Amino acid sequence: MTEKTATLTLVTCSSCGKPIPPGTEATKFLCPNCGEIQIKRCSKCRKFGRPYRCPKCGFIGP
Amino acid sequence: MPEDEEIEEITEEEKPLEEPETAPTAMEEELLMPQDTLLSAGIHIGTRMKTGDMEQFIYRVRPDGLFVLDVKKTDERIRVAAKFLARFDASKIAAAAARLYAQEPVRKFCEITGATQVVGRFIPGLLSNPSYPNRIEPEVLVVSDPRADFQAVKESSSVGIPVVALCSTDNEFSGVDLVIPTNNKGRRALAVIYWLLARQILRERGELPVDKNLPLTIEDFEAKISREEGET
Repeated sequence: MTEKTATLTLVTCSSCGKPIPPGTEATKFLCPNCGEIQIKRCSKCRKFGRPYRCPKCGFIGP
Repeated sequence: MPEDEEIEEITEEEKPLEEPETAPTAMEEELLMPQDTLLSAGIHIGTRMKTGDMEQFIYRVRPDGLFVLDVKKTDERIRVAAKFLARFDASKIAAAAARLYAQEPVRKFCEITGATQVVGRFIPGLLSNPSYPNRIEPEVLVVSDPRADFQAVKESSSVGIPVVALCSTDNEFSGVDLVIPTNNKGRRALAVIYWLLARQILRERGELPVDKNLPLTIEDFEAKISREEGET
């Protein structure tokens, strides 16, 4: 018997690059400038105001 | 309020010392509003305090210690914020204003754009308490000052919605996802910023032609000071 294993892919924070665990105070939104790339920010990066960068248009926020 | 008054006074005093009148340059034409109008409204006036976060938006420091914001960066950020907000459904935008001078501009902004206004005290649980009957569920929040509207910023963090904030030189980026660097204490400055933001959002949505202005003037956006209020 073979057991099926489900893999959970966690999204990574656009600022620190670390995976964002589900259920945390993270946010995601489309790049304010180009609106094509989804920016994900973990709770820590939001709290500390760490910058994020859009890989497509190069917009640096916040 | 004393802080507001102090900044207002500084704005009035410092106006004549600003950049001398020059012929319009290419940069001025790119701005959403003539540079003279922006400067006379005092949107570039910061405070005597500077945070590391806001350093990137500071243009210079005056001899009296007042930090001055870069008008071009403010203009750029208004455009970006308008593009960002225009992607959301109008009813899913909430604008908070705890400051007295920001309340009237926010009311007019919401009236024009169709956003939800939260003026005055932000009732804790308004965003995050599911059992609160008057709870609102916006998808994006605009705050006039992240320090004055700290409860709104805190709750939007807990529910995971992005925050657009008007930040002066003394603000930090904690909990903020998009910053508009501007004077967030002056009466005229807040009116100009919200007027520009409202106009740009309508233009981005395609509801207002690029060469047309809003039906309301900047004076309509400005908070009114009644004589009785001033006397008491």
